[in-house]
Amino acid sequence: MKVTFPHLGTMHIFCKAIAETAGIDYIVPPKTSKRTLTLGVKHSNECICLPFKIILGNFIEALELGADTIVMVGSGPPCRLGLYDLVQKVILEDLGLHYRWLTIPPRLDWPALLKNRDETRELKKELSLKNITTFPYALWIGWKKMMACERLEKLALRVRAREVITGRTEKMLQKALAGLDKAKTGRAIERAIIEGEKILGSVDQDRGRQPLRVAIVGELYTVMDPQINRGVERKLGEMGVEVTRTSWFSSHILRSLGVGRENRRERLRYYRASLQYLGYDVGAECNVSIGETILRAKDGYDGVVHLMPFACMPETTASGILDRVSRDLGFPVLTLILDEQENEGRITTLLEAFVDMLMWRRQRFH
Amino acid sequence: MYLGIDVGSITTKVVLTDAEDRVIAHAYLRNGGKPIAAIQQGIKNIIQQAGNPISIEGVGATGSARHLAAYLVGADVVKNEITAHAVAVIDYMPDVKTIIEIGGQDSKIIILREHVVVDFAMNTVCAAGTGSFLDQQAARLGISIEDFGGRALRSHNRVRIAGRCTVFAETDMIHKQQLGYQTEDIIAGLCDSLVKNYLNNVSRGKEILAPVVFQGGVAANKGIRQALERELGLEIIVPPHFDLMGAIGAAKLARRARPSETLFKGLEVANWHFSTRSFECDGCGNTCDVMELIAKGETVACWGDTCGKYSDAFNRSRDEGQDAVRSNHG
Repeated sequence: MKVTFPHLGTMHIFCKAIAETAGIDYIVPPKTSKRTLTLGVKHSNECICLPFKIILGNFIEALELGADTIVMVGSGPPCRLGLYDLVQKVILEDLGLHYRWLTIPPRLDWPALLKNRDETRELKKELSLKNITTFPYALWIGWKKMMACERLEKLALRVRAREVITGRTEKMLQKALAGLDKAKTGRAIERAIIEGEKILGSVDQDRGRQPLRVAIVGELYTVMDPQINRGVERKLGEMGVEVTRTSWFSSHILRSLGVGRENRRERLRYYRASLQYLGYDVGAECNVSIGETILRAKDGYDGVVHLMPFACMPETTASGILDRVSRDLGFPVLTLILDEQENEGRITTLLEAFVDMLMWRRQRFH
Repeated sequence: MYLGIDVGSITTKVVLTDAEDRVIAHAYLRNGGKPIAAIQQGIKNIIQQAGNPISIEGVGATGSARHLAAYLVGADVVKNEITAHAVAVIDYMPDVKTIIEIGGQDSKIIILREHVVVDFAMNTVCAAGTGSFLDQQAARLGISIEDFGGRALRSHNRVRIAGRCTVFAETDMIHKQQLGYQTEDIIAGLCDSLVKNYLNNVSRGKEILAPVVFQGGVAANKGIRQALERELGLEIIVPPHFDLMGAIGAAKLARRARPSETLFKGLEVANWHFSTRSFECDGCGNTCDVMELIAKGETVACWGDTCGKYSDAFNRSRDEGQDAVRSNHG
């Protein structure tokens, strides 16, 4: 059995760690590239969103390399992500690719477990006793690595906004993450974090700079994956903006497990704030995008960048309302609609103009 | 003196300004698909117009090909066109509240309050309602684009033309022609539909308050100007250098940046022989198209590589950059 998983931010680092620790064979799909996108676009419906196309491309490339088991999260309506696993299964089968599909349920409840019964039974035959007994430990290692990735990425967000040589932080972050990727045990991960923080700390910073503060909100794939959002986070950072976001693996996983009090409270706060514009829960990240924007405005942020894939229902709803929020609060919001036909130059132009505007406003109004 | 270069999708604008941001010389050229030649010709025109010897203290580049322009001539400031346009207007009309800019393939709205840009938007992938479409339709109707606006003003019975998409607009125009409508009325109808398209797709409900400044190449079009005034119910102000505002903004930004020593390669660039070459890098699955700018037989700049393999080498030193490129050519 060779397991594979899609690319999404730093997900491959900890997914790989889980498989490796549990002694399960795995294949990391090649880094998302033009080829990945071309494959994804070719084999999917034109109107479907960009994350779908890229994930499909990841799977095709991984299967070409000999993977035979795909692990993918599922989710519920209203977002089409809920249909991803079903539709992608059909497409891959039509392509004549052979594989087994495991859906990680978005919520761990009884119906989800029942639905996965057959898959679990199938899996049992393949996994050795050792695989199964080490699995809890593997999950723990995976979790630890994920938290470590997030810690380094969050540090990089702060450093990047103050770097003296543009692009330096990104290089050092990649170096730090590569070190973390190699760590095998809990203790090694701890060491990799310290080492990573040292590497990032070595970046020359202008400590006196007061960077603009911008929060990125929106659909989670576009927010979390730099290949999908064309490096919005990095671009903003390199323009001297300190970026904040609440979409992280940990926050979404904790939410689906129904644990993590602080995380839940934060989300609830955003949800409640959104209610003055939206009477009910639209689903996915829609309410959070709106609520977070309102609260960021109140927290004194300079602006919000709202990311969404073209034709994404929940976020299209949000973008209409965000226009209103922006007008009511006099708070800058830039919505970027991403798909494979968008040219990167335009995104850069809009981001540059947005940052110029924020700078301008700050000098004038503060 | 400062040089401002605005290389847009259809035209290239070059201005020469003095220390008070006054325009001394200017050039407005069609790219004809050759932006490099257009920039060089623009500089030649400037030299001719200025007459006196020119000493450039700073250069600003803007427009969708701003990076190309910057590599070509050596620019001190490279700025996006939204900021450049806003900067140019603010001094011309300090209390401006709305800037409408319609160019060859881009259209923008910039909202200002208390002398500060507070909101802006740009057209999405659709180029309906921009200059290039007007160009095409004028050509199809067999009238020059310069006469287009004037003809619209002569209309007495404006025809409704579908404006959501240029493809439908064209179909509808042909249909109206076949029904026997006057060309003037169709042109006026087209102006109306382009304005509606702009308001629906670009400004999308943003609060348009007076004073409204209208600029960009399309501002020359009297028909569109009139249609905008009718639709908004506001007076539209078209600044004297409406078609050069981006370049003026870029020159102004270069002056404000006050470079101690300009990166400008000199007015001779207008006569250098430039060419570009591209190759597909096979370093990874991304297969970036790497562009090279070649002057006097030597690669002088490189871009398009996502990872920075070649462009970073050029940023470090020219020798190193050339080695990197050469190794790829084998």
